Amino acid sequence: MKSKLTEHILGLIFVSIILLSVIFFFDFDSLQSSSPASSEAQLLSGVPITNVNDPFQQQLLQNVMDIYYPGHKDKNIKTVREIFRIREDQFNQKLQSSHVHEKLSLSKLLDLAGMYLKFLVIYVIVMVLTYYGVQTIAVWRFVSKKRLFEHRLAHEANPQKVPARKISRFLSSFFKVIAYMILFSPAYVIAYSIRTEFNTDSSIFMILLGLISNGLLVMYSNKFYAFLVAESRKGYVEAGLVKNLEYRYSFPKDRHGNPCGTIDWKSIVRPVKQFKCHIFDHIFRNAHYQYLSTIKEQASFLITGLIIIEMALNIHGYLNYEMLRQLLYKNYDIVLTIVLGIFYTVKFTEIITDFIVHRESLKYEN
Amino acid sequence: MKTEKRSFLLSIFLNKDHRWAMIWVLGVAVLGIWDIMFLNKPALLRVTNGFINTIIICLLVVIFTLILSWGLTLGLHFFQYRKIRSGYIVLTFILNLVRSVPQIIGVLLSYVIIAALITRGWIGGAGVFVLMAFCMSVFIFMEMVDLMRERISHFTKLDFYNAMKVCGISEKRIINSDILWKNSRIHIFNKLISVFGSAVFLQCSVDFIISVGLSTGVNTVSMPVTLGSLLAKMDSKQDILAIGNTLFNPGYLPQLFMQHLQGLTVAFLIVFSLFCIYSISNGYAERHRL
Repeated sequence: MKSKLTEHILGLIFVSIILLSVIFFFDFDSLQSSSPASSEAQLLSGVPITNVNDPFQQQLLQNVMDIYYPGHKDKNIKTVREIFRIREDQFNQKLQSSHVHEKLSLSKLLDLAGMYLKFLVIYVIVMVLTYYGVQTIAVWRFVSKKRLFEHRLAHEANPQKVPARKISRFLSSFFKVIAYMILFSPAYVIAYSIRTEFNTDSSIFMILLGLISNGLLVMYSNKFYAFLVAESRKGYVEAGLVKNLEYRYSFPKDRHGNPCGTIDWKSIVRPVKQFKCHIFDHIFRNAHYQYLSTIKEQASFLITGLIIIEMALNIHGYLNYEMLRQLLYKNYDIVLTIVLGIFYTVKFTEIITDFIVHRESLKYEN
Repeated sequence: MKTEKRSFLLSIFLNKDHRWAMIWVLGVAVLGIWDIMFLNKPALLRVTNGFINTIIICLLVVIFTLILSWGLTLGLHFFQYRKIRSGYIVLTFILNLVRSVPQIIGVLLSYVIIAALITRGWIGGAGVFVLMAFCMSVFIFMEMVDLMRERISHFTKLDFYNAMKVCGISEKRIINSDILWKNSRIHIFNKLISVFGSAVFLQCSVDFIISVGLSTGVNTVSMPVTLGSLLAKMDSKQDILAIGNTLFNPGYLPQLFMQHLQGLTVAFLIVFSLFCIYSISNGYAERHRL
């Protein structure tokens, strides 16, 4: 853990130094595009001219050029024309970008801090909801499959062919495909398709989109399900059965309503999942331990999803929309400040995840 | 006893990955036929170009990811094997830094740079595709490096590794041929399918964002047309908005498939492709018990 923490801190320091030096010491104005001109005109474009449309100043510059470069009259005329064109372009550009050009100031930093806080709140809420959703969906899927398998085993002797069951199976497959298509839709497809009827610019809608779109929930619940399946095939499951742990998934509560050894709806949807006296409790705990190490990846994917939502939907007053806006206006110092903020979020998530995994591993590893 | 070779149709029926690959191809083909009948020619050409460009870039991403991850895995392994600690630490540090940059930010910023290079006339044509794919693979390939390193670390703990070394087989051959190729290619291929899906998602999202948010700053005409940039066009967006209208006016549904075909086709291609690629990857993992 110590080496991991050192690496994270070094990473934070390294990136902070690089980005902060670029923000404070790099001249971003030099990146602004200017129209192509001859090197001579570029060199002389800094000569003091107060009014580019003043014929007197034009003539004055022409005369000065003729004195300094005698015998090159045609070339001097061309250079002077180019100097005046460059100055006019610069003036127009300045005029056009005067309302969009911003510098990183204290008030701007406070603005960004507010947006960053909003982003963090949304991120934490969606992260907690996906953490819960991934486990609940995977457990529900695993238990349902086991129950179906047990049901089939019990009725194998006299299988009933009911046409209604076929129809219901077809309908359930149809709705499953529709649900999957929605869950796999990128956020902007879902948002644009309902934008005319609902307000899609609220934080609640963002949380909802972050949760259900971009395939996040499906992919990670499938990963958790795969961990559950892999664990259920391991040897300790049989050892647990020998020790008289309950193994049936469709086992009802006993006469006294004792929940020990049963897996009911309550235990599946509970935030802290426990399946006491059942072998599944051990399967779940081992799968959960493996899932913890994928949280870093899930968090990174979630942040990507949230950035896409904010940018694609052009939601004003949000951090990533602001980043896109500043990128458009070429205010790169503000863009880099936002990138640094997002980098810190990812790094702190990684540190917290590593700490949790380390704490869990102390429980299981010798 | 010689087992019977499964027929093509039987394999499609039994194997989930084959079945979904077929569904993807058939779905796109059916949509293509529908579009030929009802979508106007310029729009059809744009959609076809967008789909083909997206697939080409994503395939290039897969190739670059494989090359980058294989190379870096070997680099990391040999630094570790030859006990060059400084090299190993520096490489791991750089990899972890890249991992900490959200993919979308990395790809977005690199696309802005690519657009600037195109505007200045420094790159063009096929070079744009290659550069776009390379930039995207830089932010995707870490998962593959993790997988390859996991496989190498698993196999180096087994007896066969030491036995092969005692037999005088070179480390390079054991890693490249015996561990990565002979014993891990199924895992690697499965990961590459996921990488292809991630590339489709990122490509479409970044192009959509650039076309919506940076259209005046970045000259989107100079970037290749993809499904994402097509979806961001005003007429496509209006087509997608029509879906919301249909939710409360179901009578409008038939017109959706005739009058709003461009946007619907693009959105369907993105969602359907992502879903099919996910199912193919899942089916492949199930078939090989990964």
